[in-house]
Amino acid sequence: MKRILLLLTTFMAGLVMVSQGLTASADTTPNYVITTDATYPPFDFQDKNNQYVGIDQDILKEIAKREGFTYTLKPMSFNAATQSVTSDQADGVIAGMSITDERRQVFDFSTPYYKSGIAWAVSKDSKVKSLDDLRGKTVAIKTGTSGANYALSVQKKYGFKVTYFNDSETLYRDVINGNSVATFGDLPVLQYSIKNGTQLKVMNPKDPFEAGEYGFAVKKGGNAKLLASFDKGFAEIKKDGTYDKIVNKYLDASASTFTGNKANSTTVWGILTSNKKAFLDGLFETILLTVMGIFLASIWGIILGIMGISQNKFVRGTATTIIYIFRGLPMMVLAFFIYIGLPTAIGFKIPAFVAGVITLILNEGAYTGAFVRGGFEAVERGQMEAARSLGLSYGVAMRKVIMPQGIKIMVPSFINQFIITLKDTSILSAIGILELTQTGTLIVSRNSQGFKVWAIIAVIYLVVITLLTWLSNWVEKRTKA
Amino acid sequence: MSEQKQVKVHVEDVNKSYGSNHVLRDISLDVHPNEVVVMIGPSGSGKSTFLRMLNQLEMPDSGTILVDGYDILDKKTDINKVRENIGMVFQNFNLFNNYTVIQNVMLAPVQLGKMGKEEAEKRARELLETVGLADKADMSVGSLSGGQKQRVAIARALAMDPDIMLFDEPTSALDPEMVGDVLDVMKDLARSGMTMIIVTHEMGFAKQVADRVVFFESGKIQESGEPEQIFNAPKNARLQEFLSKVMQA
Repeated sequence: MKRILLLLTTFMAGLVMVSQGLTASADTTPNYVITTDATYPPFDFQDKNNQYVGIDQDILKEIAKREGFTYTLKPMSFNAATQSVTSDQADGVIAGMSITDERRQVFDFSTPYYKSGIAWAVSKDSKVKSLDDLRGKTVAIKTGTSGANYALSVQKKYGFKVTYFNDSETLYRDVINGNSVATFGDLPVLQYSIKNGTQLKVMNPKDPFEAGEYGFAVKKGGNAKLLASFDKGFAEIKKDGTYDKIVNKYLDASASTFTGNKANSTTVWGILTSNKKAFLDGLFETILLTVMGIFLASIWGIILGIMGISQNKFVRGTATTIIYIFRGLPMMVLAFFIYIGLPTAIGFKIPAFVAGVITLILNEGAYTGAFVRGGFEAVERGQMEAARSLGLSYGVAMRKVIMPQGIKIMVPSFINQFIITLKDTSILSAIGILELTQTGTLIVSRNSQGFKVWAIIAVIYLVVITLLTWLSNWVEKRTKA
Repeated sequence: MSEQKQVKVHVEDVNKSYGSNHVLRDISLDVHPNEVVVMIGPSGSGKSTFLRMLNQLEMPDSGTILVDGYDILDKKTDINKVRENIGMVFQNFNLFNNYTVIQNVMLAPVQLGKMGKEEAEKRARELLETVGLADKADMSVGSLSGGQKQRVAIARALAMDPDIMLFDEPTSALDPEMVGDVLDVMKDLARSGMTMIIVTHEMGFAKQVADRVVFFESGKIQESGEPEQIFNAPKNARLQEFLSKVMQA
């Protein structure tokens, strides 16, 4: 058992080093980790080559070039993007982020780089005429955005209910499908999306509420150098016209300029071929997470299971408590806690992939621990008594008599858990890991082909799960023989 | 009875309760080398609990238990070492389901470094021969009848070459036609001079094999003595009542 623990810690340490090595640059130019909203066109989105583009991205790239710094971009949900900065997981965030007094409490903002305001929009053929018509209806808002804040501030006055989303595309779809009747969001974002075919209409294009400004942000009191570079670079590109060129490039162009021709994004085959690399990368990440999750969670689960039937009350209690806690916690809460909460407490960054693997180990390991313990307990008590009465020690009796019988009982549970682990990796998209589900979110945000893209993703999952099931059944047959 | 002064098992004033249920009260008993002691009594009288204490499958609340001179209740005593010298046979056989017949017999000697694999296998085949199951060596334990399982269990216990054998109702879970084979093996063992402590309901066997019969009732030893005396001239009223019931049946 000690050997396994050692192996596990060595492995985790290696993982941390590798992922840090990937982000560290060898030369002396500063390299920053910048987070962004994965789906926020025209400010942040992926183009047909799966490169991040948009007004934010082009500004950032231009400033970095002029100011001589490099950066690693981490696209995720807006909420996770801002929280990554406050928890020191990232150095700065650029995500069409409105400058508000509330945010000033925790962030330092750059010079405002874009003037915006809150608009509200309804489905194209909606009968809603004014905000008063929203009484009793549901309004869709994006978590953590200033559109959401505005909606909440007038919620009482107009008497509507709200429902939250983490990405814009799903949110728009919800309004178009009529599950909710309206949404509040940043004016340019809504307009850009409508121009590119989203079946919504803006109700107040002329007079947005709470006209505000976007800023690049760092954690309050930190990264002053990065902030100064941004401001200096921004002043330059504003002065020489580069800034206007960037803005016009996105606001004047239709989406297909960036997202490819129509056929590429409307037929299943077109979607598949034009996003081949993205799908494969996402699939690879999902498989990598699954394999590591299954392997390490099984080891951890077996350790917990053995502890759970220990003769020592304290050891047994520890295992029971660990299983209780991590089986009880929703996996997404655990992922956020490890990725966003923990670094603040321990003072160093945890790369998203490592945080994801740790989440899988703790969550899936707890379930594994529970059925491993149950499997050992299901072995007749007399087996242990017979082994012990021959003079075998507890350890030898466990290893030679109880465990082989218990594991046989557990095999179906293991297979079940492997499949659950594969599916649960999709939850890790919440912390920005670019696995299969997150890949789907990004592609949909670009081509608005929700039905086809999610159907493709679903089929990929089913194929992988089928392969995993075959493999598991083959292993099961062999253990039975 | 044996002439030797040396005592194999020495039990003094042992008490045991499960909650408010006082299952053993002030039990004292000495067992001498080569002696065969048979314990009889109604169900729940404490005789199995007592037997299981002799190799520490149960712990008494108070009292002294010495086996081969070792104080097995002393924390400093290596109970595994003591257990190597005490064979135990259970009512439900408890053969290891994940091994074949011969692997069951070989497991302990090999794991405990008592002999190498080849030697252990040779010895295991001899033991299976003596219990009449040489032809079953490579079968899985699931394919054996109850009587065969119990004989394998006896061979397994003997593989460690113990000098005391404990039997906990070894024939109670068997179909009647299987009982004889198991009792025959036990008789052979008794004849060979093994020290044996047996909990059983087989009165005929007790009469035939026992050097001493001990009658348990309500957690106490009510009477003990040679089989002749116990079965033909019982003094204790409860023993008389017990015998009248079992003999009728």
